[in-house]
Amino acid sequence: MIEVVLADGAVSSYIPVMLLLTMAVTFGAFNVIASRLIGPRRDGGTKGQTYESGMAPIGTARKRFNVRFYLIAMVFLVFDIEIIFLYPWATTFPNLDPGSTNAQVWLFRILFFMATTVVAYIYGLRKGVFRFD
Amino acid sequence: MTQALPSTMLAAVSMGEKFVAMWPEAFLFITTCVVMVLGLSKSLPVRRMCAPLAGVGLIGAGLIAAAMTPDTLCPLPSMAMYGKVLAAGIGLVLVCLLAGTVDRDFESDVERTGWFDVIRSKRAEFWAFFLFSLTGLMLTAGADDLILLFLALELTSLPTYVMVAISTRRDRSMEAGVKYFFLGALGAAMFLYGFAFIYGGTGHTGLQDIQREVRAQVDAGGINELTMLGLVLAVVGICFKIAAVPMHFYTPDVYQGSSASMAGYLAFVPKAAGFFAIMLVVSCAGWGFGESRAELPGMLRDVLWIIAVLTMTVGNVLALLQSSVKRILAYSSIAHSGYMLVGVIAGPGLDGRGGEFTRNGLAAVLFYLLSYGVMTVGAFAVLACLERRSRDGEIEEADHVADIRGLCKTHPVLGWIMVVSVVGLLGLPPLLGFFGKLPLFTSAISAGEIPLVVILAINSAIAAYYYLRLAYLCYIDPPETSPNLAPLRATPFGSRRVAGMLSAIGVVVLAVVGGKLADATVTAGRYIPPAGQTQQPERAADDDAPTPEHVVAPH
Repeated sequence: MIEVVLADGAVSSYIPVMLLLTMAVTFGAFNVIASRLIGPRRDGGTKGQTYESGMAPIGTARKRFNVRFYLIAMVFLVFDIEIIFLYPWATTFPNLDPGSTNAQVWLFRILFFMATTVVAYIYGLRKGVFRFD
Repeated sequence: MTQALPSTMLAAVSMGEKFVAMWPEAFLFITTCVVMVLGLSKSLPVRRMCAPLAGVGLIGAGLIAAAMTPDTLCPLPSMAMYGKVLAAGIGLVLVCLLAGTVDRDFESDVERTGWFDVIRSKRAEFWAFFLFSLTGLMLTAGADDLILLFLALELTSLPTYVMVAISTRRDRSMEAGVKYFFLGALGAAMFLYGFAFIYGGTGHTGLQDIQREVRAQVDAGGINELTMLGLVLAVVGICFKIAAVPMHFYTPDVYQGSSASMAGYLAFVPKAAGFFAIMLVVSCAGWGFGESRAELPGMLRDVLWIIAVLTMTVGNVLALLQSSVKRILAYSSIAHSGYMLVGVIAGPGLDGRGGEFTRNGLAAVLFYLLSYGVMTVGAFAVLACLERRSRDGEIEEADHVADIRGLCKTHPVLGWIMVVSVVGLLGLPPLLGFFGKLPLFTSAISAGEIPLVVILAINSAIAAYYYLRLAYLCYIDPPETSPNLAPLRATPFGSRRVAGMLSAIGVVVLAVVGGKLADATVTAGRYIPPAGQTQQPERAADDDAPTPEHVVAPH
């Protein structure tokens, strides 16, 4: 496979990938070996305990969580994605000729996109995602 | 900033044109949003609007698609319109079929207690996901770029995982949904990996650019191995969607675990999306290789050939062993994928553009998708129409072969729908299935794939056993009354019966107007060879540079 790429002369574009791959493997291997070599080994009851933000753990870890946590996470994602898409749009939009058809199309498109997020918001509202009782 | 302007403007123009092609999807998407909000209403009449509104959205999207779908920038430019209209048409039947799948016990609780718990209601999600999935199917048909193709395929499948899981209240549905999800993620990862290799090998994501680049590679001595690996990986990954052999294991379990109506949905929508995708991906390499200059490139053809043979044979042989009607139909859907792959291998025929219906394998696949969709939805509709309350109080649909014994006497309409559907699936002459299978045979013969045709014929004969067994059970066997089970009743959802009757009528009527449909599929299956490619050595002089403008849509 590599030979084919070499023959095409396109190998140079794969050098960063190879470099990243090498670095990742080296980093992982180095950490495992180094901690095995120089890390202290002290096992005990406290170390094996469940981590609960520094507090003494209570109850079992196999507990059902309120589904609302997931709902909040999903609503967060919706608005997060919206922001991510707004950035490239906002940097490109000023380059367009004001008043041209293109600019109108671009504006309409982002408004449409934001309207879809509003639908997601209404859905979340109706499902009671924002009701913290 | 100023340097970036021209390319930005260019992108804006082409994106604008692309958006024109997406009006049907945009319309369907807006309908989806409305359906999603309406389904959460406190008032029952408003909630009941979901399904009819979904139907209206599909009619609208289908009409828009039929009126104004431009050709896409890919080797199969006219497939978009056919695919979108097909999605809307079968989607309408599926709306009827899926009525009442979710929220049935919930609605009776609401009626009794007068309290609407919005968290427990699933109607809004179900119908919104249904429409999202069909939007994805339409986008798949019109995809002209690998990225769009991937997103469209995922938009088709992701909602179906949830729909399967919520389609009944049994644990089995949840299990089916999880199985379907994990294997689906595996398939998606595979074809995305393939797409990445295709991009690595050609440097493009646009299908037309990829086709051009592959052509350049062929001129320079052969297809780049990276490209080839990408094409093969992509095809094998998409095999999950069409339930072809290395990725077929989920099919019977998922179909049996979901409700019969949902199984009918699964038998058509992901499969159609998969075939649109497979044809688009394969057409980038094109059918200009081999001795006849009308074959797929060697390795791709071999892989598809093996998949097709295994899919047909495994599907049909395992269907013989089943005692559950849903599982029989699931294995039959696997087998039908194998039949359709024969059309993909045969390609657009010797003239290289697919002008003749009997020689164009792509037109045959598109025709078969329609006929298969109609027939299989009919068969599943019959199962969805029959139910009993089991001992634990849950509703149980007809599934065991004993359940359909003597159906023509106990429920004549349903029995006859079943008989017509399975005889159609078998491919007996007066019905639609025959006209679907015939061009698959003829196109494969004209492409010189004689061994494949022989295997296809043998498989059709094997399939006759279990299809005729189903027809026999319905028509000739006496009704069976088991003392342990409550008798089956018809569901209160009349629209499911309508879906079944529409399918049965379609199996008969579409066969009569098959000529018009054949013309439509020939137009849709038009293939544009890469510029500069000579399909036949002796005709090289008069078609040395076929470009989209010079290719006239054949009628």
